[in-house]
Amino acid sequence: MENPYLPVEAELLEVVEETPTIKTFVLKPAQPIPFRAGQFMQLTVPGVGEAPFTPSSSPYEEERMEITILKTGRVTEALHNLQPGVSLGLRGPFGKGYPVEKFVGKEVLIVGGGVGLAPLRSLLYYLFANLDKFKKVSIKYGARMPEELCFQKLYPQWEKLEKVDFTVTIDVPAPGWKGRVGLVTTLLDDLDIDLKNSYVVSCGPEVMLKFVTYKLIDIGFAPEQIYLSMNRNMSCGIGKCGRCIIGKYFLCKDGPDMCYADIKDIPGVFG
Amino acid sequence: MSEEIFKLEKDNLEGFLLYLSQKYNLFLPRRVDDQLSFGQMKPGGKPSLDHYFNTDLPPKEVFFPQRETLLSYEGGEVKHSTYKAKPIALFGVRPCDTKGIILLDRVFAEGEYEDPYWKARRTNSLLLTLGCNAPLSTCFCHWFNLGPFNKEGTDIFLTDIGDAYLVEPCSKKGEECLRGTSLLGATGDDRKVAEEIRRKAESSLSERVEISSLKGRLLALWEEDLWEDISQKCLSCAACSYLCPTCHCFDIQEEGSQEKGERIRIWDSCMFKLFTQEAAGTNPRPTPKERLRQRIMHKFSYFLDNLGEFGCVGCGRCIRGCPVNLDIREVIKAVKSFIVESR
Repeated sequence: MENPYLPVEAELLEVVEETPTIKTFVLKPAQPIPFRAGQFMQLTVPGVGEAPFTPSSSPYEEERMEITILKTGRVTEALHNLQPGVSLGLRGPFGKGYPVEKFVGKEVLIVGGGVGLAPLRSLLYYLFANLDKFKKVSIKYGARMPEELCFQKLYPQWEKLEKVDFTVTIDVPAPGWKGRVGLVTTLLDDLDIDLKNSYVVSCGPEVMLKFVTYKLIDIGFAPEQIYLSMNRNMSCGIGKCGRCIIGKYFLCKDGPDMCYADIKDIPGVFG
Repeated sequence: MSEEIFKLEKDNLEGFLLYLSQKYNLFLPRRVDDQLSFGQMKPGGKPSLDHYFNTDLPPKEVFFPQRETLLSYEGGEVKHSTYKAKPIALFGVRPCDTKGIILLDRVFAEGEYEDPYWKARRTNSLLLTLGCNAPLSTCFCHWFNLGPFNKEGTDIFLTDIGDAYLVEPCSKKGEECLRGTSLLGATGDDRKVAEEIRRKAESSLSERVEISSLKGRLLALWEEDLWEDISQKCLSCAACSYLCPTCHCFDIQEEGSQEKGERIRIWDSCMFKLFTQEAAGTNPRPTPKERLRQRIMHKFSYFLDNLGEFGCVGCGRCIRGCPVNLDIREVIKAVKSFIVESR
């Protein structure tokens, strides 16, 4: 990478409304940006600023990149107001990405919460494209309310896949909801998994990551089997600007997906 | 390196600086109003070396400006450039600050990513370090095995011996630079004078505190009330970070509109609440306690983990500049002596 601070121009082709607060932005970068599932991009809204997001599209998709974004702050609010046709900036990819090589021959358990399913979707697409390499893919996903479940249109497709188990829950009962109710950790109560031959990947709010991790350890997973998408403010993406540091790790460069074994002894790791 | 040590009469300093400024974009200590910092040498300009202990601001800004444009755009056209002028030379850097630049070299130019903006200014640059005849009471470079005459990382080392400087090449670049001058060799007597000055300076330093065990202590004390006590008077003003020769945190911001604007990088600090304020409302370091602990942990634990060296050079600027007299040496001593009560 010649100058890691320079973005590539990307045209906003389409905006898809996923939930009342989450939209997917379909981008066409001026040049293809190859990435590993889990690596992230810095997305620029000219005149507003940039913010870090992990693509939600398949790493095999070269022409277009999709990024699914919850409206939360200054940059994301500006993004949510955009119409197709405008020019944005993309720089990256940054970070290590998920260690998918390690998952070969194993069961992969994916635990997501809310908009946390967005970055996980690029991993899912990778796993779905290589299902012969993995023993099984289990997805446990939760959101607060039915309307906050991301990518609902895709669930029937995912449920049909062989070797894939997909379970969804919402936090509290809602009118018309016939599925499971309870925090995403309750989906871990009746896991059908080969404990010793599996890896877990989790992405969601920090408080969810914390309780998911504690639960997994209780069930008997080793810290080495657990990968967490850690999030802090990020700016440079290359481990220089200092804001995403957790212990000695710069999440932008050493993560953002960290093996729990590496971070479990860092005081205050879950905020 | 060559054994040869030269002598530069102070009467000839102007000529020497002129020689340097032909080959280099020369920066030297310059007083503007009441503040001493590294500035560009103006034609006929003189360095402010009288009563010069150290610059108020560290020299990092020469290679890492406080505000720098990374790119600009207008009507769909994007422009960017890195430093392209003559190589930079710094005259009169103190040994602690030279070490600070070497540490920042490691931060910005080592590892998976190189910072092109730092590298463009630093490439082929020349550091002329001036030994400290009279260390200040706030100097504690010797805690880090440096010292007022530490030559690490410099290209040319100078010792003020009264009417002249002893000039010692310490790198190939330094040797080549001095080859173009007509400096005479220093005499044995000159060297003896310099040696005496060095001995006197080193013996004037305050008592050295052993810090090799600091990292382990810091990790053990993470949860303790100590941080509450230490940070009580901290104003989160970040003066310490701005004055620090090794603090390198920054922010990237966008100025302008969709059509025309600039992307800038500006210094930032872990002492500010907004540094880690997340859009969702959470903040992993919400009070001065977490922030001060972070700054200390970064310098004395994480720096060590990642680069094998402390992220402090003992220049003492943060001690002199803190508006509430928060003394980093006292923090270190408190960490060392804190007794953990069993729970």
